Amino acid sequence: MSAQRRVAVVGGATTKFGVRSCTWSELVQEAGRALFAAVPALRAEEVDSLFVGAAQPERFAFQSHVAPLAAELLGVTPTRVLQRTELACASGQSAIRSAYAAIACGLSDVAVALGVEKMNLPSMAEAYTSMACVMDRAWDGSHGATAPPFFAMVAQRHMLEHGTTEEQLAAVSEKNHRFANSNPDAQFYDKVFSREKLLRLPIIAPPLRLGDSSSMTDGAAAVLLVAEEFVQRYSGTPAWIRGSGQHSSWHNLANSGSLTDWPGLRIAGKEALRSAGITAHDLDLAEVHDCFSISEIIEYEALGFCPPGQGGAYALDGRSSLGGEVVVNPRGGLLGCGHPLGATGIAQTVEVYRQFAQQVPRARQVPDANWALVHNLSGSANVHSLLVYERGG
Amino acid sequence: MTDGSLLAEAPNKSRPVGRRPAPEPVAPPTAEPEKASRPSERRPVVPTVLDFFPLQEARSTEVHSFFDNLKVGRFTTTRCRKDGQLLWPPRTMCPNCHDAELEWVDLPMRGRIYAFSAVLAGAPLGMESDVPFNVGLVDLDGVPLRLFGRIQGAPWTSLRIGQPVRVVPVPLEDGRVFYRFQVEDAPSPLPPG
Repeated sequence: MSAQRRVAVVGGATTKFGVRSCTWSELVQEAGRALFAAVPALRAEEVDSLFVGAAQPERFAFQSHVAPLAAELLGVTPTRVLQRTELACASGQSAIRSAYAAIACGLSDVAVALGVEKMNLPSMAEAYTSMACVMDRAWDGSHGATAPPFFAMVAQRHMLEHGTTEEQLAAVSEKNHRFANSNPDAQFYDKVFSREKLLRLPIIAPPLRLGDSSSMTDGAAAVLLVAEEFVQRYSGTPAWIRGSGQHSSWHNLANSGSLTDWPGLRIAGKEALRSAGITAHDLDLAEVHDCFSISEIIEYEALGFCPPGQGGAYALDGRSSLGGEVVVNPRGGLLGCGHPLGATGIAQTVEVYRQFAQQVPRARQVPDANWALVHNLSGSANVHSLLVYERGG
Repeated sequence: MTDGSLLAEAPNKSRPVGRRPAPEPVAPPTAEPEKASRPSERRPVVPTVLDFFPLQEARSTEVHSFFDNLKVGRFTTTRCRKDGQLLWPPRTMCPNCHDAELEWVDLPMRGRIYAFSAVLAGAPLGMESDVPFNVGLVDLDGVPLRLFGRIQGAPWTSLRIGQPVRVVPVPLEDGRVFYRFQVEDAPSPLPPG
């Protein structure tokens, strides 16, 4: 990696996440306005590349060829790389990964990575249909495979094999909702979820309850990435990309293997930390993909925060909260913020930038945050994507 | 679409699911009229973009034998002649040795539940009237295959890990066929049509 140029995130912003009374294009414009406001030095003509993370605009907004549409809405005219990235729930991080690659190799100098999803439709059954084609549509989706029943089976096996409890699942959700109460952009900013309340919510896919699941959410987010020689123009507190890992293990559910051991995440996590030259113990915060409460528990284990099988206790004991060993999902997570597929990975990265720049409310500010990890899984946790960031400036 | 419901489990109730009532699906204009066609080939035109089930005829897929076999009660898949790998779902190339010399083999039609859950809300179009329905991963007896599928014949509250199930073909309304798992101690659904 020595011949590559160094790349940093130098600013970013998100829209309000939630059930929004607006269109896909209006979300893009809202994120664009927020990005240019957050990075006052940025002029549109400096943006040579645009990467648009969007999982299913064809399904949710009946719109393809979305990268030039987003460019037009943002008022930018890319001359180096213009593309959309799609990796289901990791579409946003894919936009950042692509921008990182383009800048590192010298193709791009100044790139915007924007993620967006409009998921709430008049017919939510139509939206659920779109979610079911993330799986192997013909062979698994046709049986009704969507994320909730799949992650419910993961939780069932984790409970069976490791004794994980509903209370431990609720501890994850309670923590992330608590953090979301300090994030005005979060879908559940003004809703309080105690563990007792979470344990009373209806079961949606046994053993998972409504509060164990992230939401169908509308939202967009954008970050600015630049090559090292341009960093100072935009930010005094850059978030340098230091490490990367990714692993695609399987797709059809017949190849899912053990549901509770995610070897792809172990491999990709190890590679992300190794390439950054750090260990899991060096991380101050981690924005991980808590699409379901059980996901965050297994992520603690696969990333080496705790031994296999002990993720539930790790959450319940507060070791992933402020004052713990590594603060996980201070933004509020997907559970608290909602999960607009294309926007999530970008919004997590915005949080890393703001944490490094000490721009977040004290209720979620990680003290002396120097190293951060962003993780997204996609589909049925068959793909894992990770980036490691170091605070600069 | 034909709403995707299966004859074998005719919906007997309809209620809203998800966070808001789901309106009736509106079928978009169909792309292309069926080329047509001898009367025996006529079937409801399903907009492919909303149709979960695989197209099954020889004009649409090279693994149509899976569906032909399923219609006569056989559950089959492809195996690589070169390295002996059992491949699921049926393939046209072995992803291990990249050989295309595959053969059809019968799979065991019995297995045991490895994990299960149920869809109590948030079902896709065409499946709303099936709610609640069970899904699970099933280890087929004697072969290294763990398949995902619907599990019918008992409510989720009475399913258990390790429970024996068997594969049953189920006819779709439009003449196609698919499969489900049936808990062993329950009566068989309609035979394939």
